[in-house]
Formats: sequence, C-alpha cells, structure tokens
Amino acid sequence: MTIKKFSTYFIMTLLQMFIITAFGLLSLREGFFDVRAIVWGFVLALYILLQYNMLRSAFRFMDQFVLLTAQFLFSLGMVMLYRMDPDAAIKQFAIYILSTFIMIAAILVIRKAKQLEKYYIFYMVFALILLIAPALIGRTIGGAKNWISIGGISIQPSEFAKVLYILVSAFYLNNKTTIREFIPYVLFTGLCVLILVFEKDLGAALLICGTFIIMFLAATGRIFLTGLGCMGIGLGAVLCAKLFPHVQNRVNVWRDPWSVYYEGGYQIVQGLMALASGGLFGTGLGLGMPSYIPASTTDYIFAVIGEEFGIIVAIFVILFYVLLIVRGILIAINARNTFDALLVFGCCSMLALQSFIIIGGVIKLIPLTGITLPFVSSGGTSIMNSMLMLGIIEGIAVKNGEIDEEKLDLMEGVIV
Amino acid sequence: MRDVGKFRNNMRIILGFLITLFSVLVVFLGYSILTYGESWFATPYNPRLQQTISSVDMGAVYDVNGQKLAWSVGDERNYDDEKRLRLSTAHVLGDVTGMTIGAQTRFGKYLYGKAQSIGDRVEAVIQGSTGKGSDVYLTIDSELSEYAYKLLDERNGAVVVMNYKTGELLIHTNYPSFDPVSVAEDELIDTALVDRVTMGRYPPGSTMKIITAAAAIDAGIDFEYECTGETLVDNVLIRCAGGSAHGEEDLAKAFTSSCNTYFALLSVKLGEERLLEAAKKFGFNEEFNFSDITLYKSNFELSGKESDLAWAGVGQYKDLVTPLHMTMITSAVANRGLMPEPKLLKAVSTNGSMSHQAVPTVYREVLSANTAEILAGMMERVVRMGTATSAAVENVIVCGKTGTAEYTVDGEIKNHSWFTGYIADEEYPYAISVIVEGAGYGSKYASPLAQKVLNKIVNG
Repeated sequence: MTIKKFSTYFIMTLLQMFIITAFGLLSLREGFFDVRAIVWGFVLALYILLQYNMLRSAFRFMDQFVLLTAQFLFSLGMVMLYRMDPDAAIKQFAIYILSTFIMIAAILVIRKAKQLEKYYIFYMVFALILLIAPALIGRTIGGAKNWISIGGISIQPSEFAKVLYILVSAFYLNNKTTIREFIPYVLFTGLCVLILVFEKDLGAALLICGTFIIMFLAATGRIFLTGLGCMGIGLGAVLCAKLFPHVQNRVNVWRDPWSVYYEGGYQIVQGLMALASGGLFGTGLGLGMPSYIPASTTDYIFAVIGEEFGIIVAIFVILFYVLLIVRGILIAINARNTFDALLVFGCCSMLALQSFIIIGGVIKLIPLTGITLPFVSSGGTSIMNSMLMLGIIEGIAVKNGEIDEEKLDLMEGVIV
Repeated sequence: MRDVGKFRNNMRIILGFLITLFSVLVVFLGYSILTYGESWFATPYNPRLQQTISSVDMGAVYDVNGQKLAWSVGDERNYDDEKRLRLSTAHVLGDVTGMTIGAQTRFGKYLYGKAQSIGDRVEAVIQGSTGKGSDVYLTIDSELSEYAYKLLDERNGAVVVMNYKTGELLIHTNYPSFDPVSVAEDELIDTALVDRVTMGRYPPGSTMKIITAAAAIDAGIDFEYECTGETLVDNVLIRCAGGSAHGEEDLAKAFTSSCNTYFALLSVKLGEERLLEAAKKFGFNEEFNFSDITLYKSNFELSGKESDLAWAGVGQYKDLVTPLHMTMITSAVANRGLMPEPKLLKAVSTNGSMSHQAVPTVYREVLSANTAEILAGMMERVVRMGTATSAAVENVIVCGKTGTAEYTVDGEIKNHSWFTGYIADEEYPYAISVIVEGAGYGSKYASPLAQKVLNKIVNG
C-alpha cells in the first residue's frame, strides 16, 4: 500500500513539474516574460492536483492510474493548445472543469443505478436524434456536416451519441442471445453508420463499426459471425468508396498525398513534414510551426506534439493510451456483472479505436478520417464525452471496490 | 445473463489485439520517421525551410575543391560570379525560393543549423547571434561540371560522373538549366527546372544490353548466329541500327557491334522471367530512397508478347532509365558487381569542425564478381574496336557502351544519343553517363563528349 501511494504521488509530482515547466517555457517564448502564461500554468497545475485529491478522497476505490493518465493527456493538450491559441486553451480549461462534474455525475449514477439498461429504447431514439440533428439544422465544419450551433456555441452531437451507442450495445449483447433478437441492434448500428457517412463524418462511422465488432466479439466469442461482420463492413467500405467521391478521395490521398498535394494531400503532407521536422527529440516547445497544419489544435494535435516534443515523446503518448486501455479493460474483467463489464469494455475499446484511428491517420498508416484525439484535442464536446467515458470506467471501478470491501467485511474474522 | 468466465477470456484476447494495434502505431511511426524523415523534411512544400532563412544565417555550400558555390550575406543568397558555373551546378544546388529541390533544400537541416547539437545552439543564443547554419561540402567538382556543361553546347541533355568505388558524384549537369540568382523572375527555357540526371526518364536503347548480357552470362546462354541486319520475332521486324548486317557472331561480338537482332533473339531465349529478374536486380521498377539525392524510378515492364520482350531486351518498348541510374549500373560492372549508392554530401562543417563525412555505401550486389569481369571485358572491347572507339582516352583504359534510343515526336522518329562507361584505373575510378536528346547515334555525339570529359579528368 505504501508503495502504491508513493508511486501515484510520484507520478503526480512529475505531472505538476511538467505543467509548470511547459508553461514556464511558454511564458518566455515571445522574448519577454509573459506573466499570463505562468499564471495559467499554476492554475492548471493546482486544479489537476485538486481534482485528483478530491476524487481520490470521495471515491476510495477509483483507479488512480486511469485518472492520472487522462490528466496527463489533458495537460499535454492544454500546453499545446495554449502554445497555439491561448484563448481557446482557457475556454477548453473551463469546459474541462465542467466536465469534471459530468464525470462525477457519471460515477455516482453508474455506482448506484441498477436499472440503467432498462431504458435502451430511449437511448436508441435519442442517439438517432442526436445524429440526425446536424443534417437538419447543422453546419459544415472541416468538410463534415456534424455540428449544430446553439446560442453561439458549436457542439458536435455525434460525440454524445457514442456513449449512448455503447449503452445500447451493452444492453443487447448482455440480454439477447439469438440472431433474431440481434436484428434490431444490427439495424440500429447500420443506421447510425449510414447517417454518419452521409454527414461525411467518416471517423465517427469507422469508430462505431469498430466498436460494434469488438464488443460483439467480446460478448459472444463467435469468431465466424465476427468475421462475417468484418467482411460486411469491408464490403460496405468498398461500396462507400464507389458511391461517394469523398470516401474514394480520402483513399487516393492516403496512397500518395505528395502527388495530390494541392488537391487534398496538403494536410497529410504538412503533418508528415511536421513530424519529420521534429525528429527524435523535437524542435522544442514553441519552436515548431503548427500554423501550417490545418486543424492543428483538434484532429492534428498529434503532429504538433511530434514536431515540438519529438518522436520519442509522441511514442510515449501512444503508450499512455495503452496504459489507459489496459487499466480500463482490467476494470472490465474485474466487473461483477456482464452488463457493467460490457459497458466499461465498450468505453475502453472506443477510446482505443478513436486514438488509433486519428494517430494512424496522421502518421499515414491508415486513410485519414477526421476525429479528435481523446483528452488531448481541443473541442468542448470531445472533452466532455471523453470525461463521461472516464466517469463510466471509474464508476465501475468504484463499484468493484465496494463489492470487494463488502465481501471482506463479511469474511472478517475468517482471514487474519 | 452470459457466462462471466468465458467473457473475461474474450476480453483478454481483445486487449492483446488492441495492444498489438498500438504497437503497430509505434513501430510504423518510428520506422517511417527514421526512413523517410529526411526526405519529408527537405521538400519545397516545407514552409519551415523558407521561414528559417530569416531567423538563421544560412550556411555556405562548397564544392569538393573548396570552391564557394553559394553563401549568405544577411537575408541575401549569393552565388558564384561566373554565370556558366552557376548554370552548370544549378540543379545540384537548387534554389532557396522553393522552386527546385537541390542540395540547398536537401541539406537544409545542416545549412539552417537544425542538425547542430544543443550545445552549439545554446552557445549561439548566449553569444547573442541569431544562430548560424553549418557549411556544407559537396562531392561535386564545379570546374569539371562547367566544362561538361560547355560541351553540351546548348543541346538538351545531361552529363553525370560518379566515383564507382565511393558513389560520390563528381559531375552532375544538365542543359537547359536555370540561374539560381534570378530563377524566380527569369523567363525560363522550357523544362529548365527539370534535373535530367535524376528525373529524366529516357529509353536506354542499346545501353540496356549491359543488363541483357548480364542475364545471359548468368544463365550461361551464348549462341552463334549470323546477323543479316534484320529478323522477325513474333511477326514483328527487328532491325539493326542502320540496317547493317553484322555477320557471324557470338555474345561478345554482338555486344561489341551492338547487334539488335542478336539481342532480340537472346531476350526471347532468356524469357520474360529471367530478363525481368535481371532488370529488377539492377534497380528497375524500384523506389530509390537515398539519403543524399532523390532519384526517379526507372521502368521495365513486359506484356507477355515475344516481340515486346525482344524490344525490351534492346532497351526499347517501355524501358525507361535516368542517367544517374544508368551510371549506377555501369558502376556496378566497374566495381566488381557492387552497385554504389550515389553520394552528394562530402562533409558538414560547423564552426570549423567537420562532421558527417561521406561514407561509401554499397546499395546492392547486382552481379557476381565473375559476371562483372566478363561484362567489363566486353565493354572494354566496345571502346577498343566496337561502336565507342571515339570514347578512348590516352593513358587509361576506357570501357563503355553506346546507345541510340528511338522515340517519336509528332510521328517523326528521333534518336537519343547515349554513352555510358567508366575508366578501368585505380587512380581514376570514375563512371560516366552522357545523354544528348534527339542528337542521333550514340557513337557520333555522346561518346566523343564523354571522351572529352574523361580526358579532362585524366589528362587535365
């Protein structure tokens, strides 16, 4: 126990040092001492510490490594964002504070609620409404029509549909067994994906498909059907590429972005050049040129991290996601009922796929589909959704811990 | 409710799968940056290069003899006073306005000081200077380049000379060229920005016979045949240059006289598989990825038709090769079968201390030493008594091969004049390729030009 305490505090100290140092550097980058940056650095560091201590004392059994990893990724995002656009960073910080409450609410609901899955019909309808809304009243940002504007604030409703999708999936996969019973679920999935493809939100479409396959395989273990599903999705992807020029275009750009530099290859090429400019150790914070990369604060933030911090740190960022996912899935494995397990597992797989899809796209491993990097990218809805998922994961962790404790209490006297 | 135990097992397996996915990310990221990082960085698309000019004093570029080719005074980039020298080295150097990719872009990370150690950079900051880039020494000899450029005499073409032991490029020049001082404002001659040495993909003509012959030697095929000046392959007429009949001949004799009909029949005897394999081994159809130079892909493809195979074996059909690649092929013959990687960067000098010395790199072993020796003998005969006697140089032995590559412009048949060869001498280990576009027979234009260049190198 002492060792564990020591190690988490040690990590916390490192995180604090990282934030202070990074904002210290940022305060010097204009050639004069910018007090604002260092003040914000201290505010962020203080809030991270406060959030950590508060959550730890409120929920004794929450997984501290998952929380710390998320906090680190968010802090890294804040550093990059402040470096590129201080105002956006402050807005992001405000939303993060709000998201902390969303996360706490999620923990409380998940810990206590027993009938969560009963309302699956409601989730399905709500998810579809959220997905369709932008097509009716939305506006186009970055080629994808998946934004709606309410009172001057742009939100991306498809982000929230993701969690609802996981809830629906967990319900169906937990309670239904025959193929006939799965039909509404498969139709629902197909409908979600189709809407997303029509709205040109290919990243989210891919994410839903991937989550569907992974959750189905985990719940049923039926390899043949999963393979069939993969083939179906592959076939659908090919069909999409044939039917929609924007899908085909993405693939062509991915094959050789250099040859179509002026016709869509620009972003990928600039991202690759940014990574290449950084080399192993990076140009140094504030010394890169992210202004040339489109979407540098959102989808392409990984390229900016690579440029300024270097490939080694970029690889560590990838490893932090692995850590988050491993801890998360361990919580799922430890869950006491299958619905809880599926819920956490779904959240973890979605976070994993989301980071894989965007990092893979940036480094040209797979065709680029616009999607945010969880916890790091700028974007209010994205950070809220990530924190909501974090809340679900931690909620089950807390539940697991409390059940263990009850059992231990019952066994008191038996075990010395 | 489902079985919790089985379920946990499934999740463990999927966790393993997800970890594998992320490992692929890590490996791919590391691999692509280490392999392609430098070439990605050094493209004219990279605005970081131009941005840096104003904040860093860009380093100078020198040739192999220490002649200053380009240097910075403040924001201004200066070049040698002599215009012809500027033109003859323009494609190697490139410009700094982002119109071409040359050494100034390629080695930008040195010139802009990006590759300097942290110590050097901190020192520059402490001294209050804006930071100074490193100086770069090229393997190019600008005096010889200017000489070769002059010999091209305003005919479109290229001359490339490479040390076949080390891969260091001595001459790399093209006509038409551009003036790096004023490239952004000048009205340029059509295709002046094209670096023919590395980007010009020409039909190789008879120079391709080096590869066909190599395949034949390896396969042990050598037959006697009487050339009548033409032959039918699959009902398609193959003719020798000028329709001359070469009479009774074997492989070595056919190579010396550059007999098309012999090599056409030889290609058919070899078959598609062996010829394609030989071409691939020599680097055709391959994306080259060299540290110092961007070289376009050479092309070799077959259709399954015997007549196309026959033409491909004599360097026509869809064969395409760049002059630099041709030089690499000749170098492999000269260098006992080892093809060197072309090098352009001799050294980098930061505040007077040298680093990044060029290291000779073998790109690939393309021939056995034995096959290389037989080919060398054949190429020696070509210059002594064959089609390239005009390439002979006093005091040294020159080996080579001419080429006359047919192409059509608006229905009119024209010929590129090729010569590729090398000096068989320990003291002058140089391979050369010359192409003069649309000039005519290789023996008439390209080989005398090569002779003059090689003679200048050897005899001054």
